[in-house]
Amino acid sequence: MKLRRLALFAAGAFVLVQTALAGGPQIGAKAPDFKLTTVDGKTFSLAEQAKSHKAVVVMFIATKCPYSNAYNDRMRDMAAAYAAKGVVFAGINSNKTEPADEVVDHAKKHGLAFPLMKDPDNKVADLYDARHTPEIFVVDPDGKLRYHGRIDENYENPSKVENPDLKNALDAMLAGKEIAKAETKAFGCTIKRV
Amino acid sequence: MKSTVESRQPTVRRSGAAVAALFVFTALAPSSARIAGEVDAKGLFDAIAREKGKVVLVNFWATWCVPCREEFPDLSRLQKAYESRGLRVIGVSTDFARETAAVEKFLAEQKPSFPNYRKTSGGDDQLFIDAVEKSWGGELPFSVLYGRDGKKAGTLSGKHSYADYETEIRKLLKT
Repeated sequence: MKLRRLALFAAGAFVLVQTALAGGPQIGAKAPDFKLTTVDGKTFSLAEQAKSHKAVVVMFIATKCPYSNAYNDRMRDMAAAYAAKGVVFAGINSNKTEPADEVVDHAKKHGLAFPLMKDPDNKVADLYDARHTPEIFVVDPDGKLRYHGRIDENYENPSKVENPDLKNALDAMLAGKEIAKAETKAFGCTIKRV
Repeated sequence: MKSTVESRQPTVRRSGAAVAALFVFTALAPSSARIAGEVDAKGLFDAIAREKGKVVLVNFWATWCVPCREEFPDLSRLQKAYESRGLRVIGVSTDFARETAAVEKFLAEQKPSFPNYRKTSGGDDQLFIDAVEKSWGGELPFSVLYGRDGKKAGTLSGKHSYADYETEIRKLLKT
């Protein structure tokens, strides 16, 4: 028996249903396309962004999660550093508990200048089987998923990071090399779904 | 091999009155209101193995995790309701060492009816996550169920209701 997250409400009954162990896209497979409206009213299309960039870094993030917030500065700095290399970062907030105005305020407070969007009814989180924040998906110009997992292994102390996994993945992609560790994990806050 | 479960008595400096109050509180508080010890994956598996013959629910939580805190009282209720039928709930805090005081405070407030360990700090959390359950992405809360035979029987990702846990526990208690 393998129970997973999918929960269906029906007449007060709560049924747990098993989903695939990895319900989202696999490394090397086509990443599900999506279009969302950014908090400043623009359309963000994954397919279009992928075509016009060397990589798209899709980050499921939160405003209240301590783990996600521990990476605010790293996300801000990496987005700026890799923009010059043709990589676009984008943040998706799928938490039903965190409204758009809160996302805007949070971005201003922490200097997050990359595209940010709410994910109504957590549809994109479901497409990717994103479970927690922060959780990262990197898509290449062909629309294929190349990396999935964490930013690095040390949320607590950026100066003591030993495994800068996202950076390593992007550097490998930009150099046309295989990504040594394409799937990584870390603790994070569960995405608060509808 | 040396056990990876170690009991730990935190050392604190307090005023005389505070020490006296702490002594009284500690004497009265149930042992489950303190951290039972630090565990790595092997230490956790040893703790689960010691409960063979029971249905075991291991719940991973953290003090900063709101849904974890919300479902925590239900786990205590479940332990009390099904203890006589062979349920053992085991909690594992994934808080960092620097958050030990917050963990102790939370446990002192909650007075859980089950033991709670703290995951050993340091190292790469991915090794711990994968050792516990390959399908686990690292989200919290997360729970793993073990049958009376000590074998893994299921997982529950995220926060769940008392009824959800009860349904799965009752299935396993029947076997």
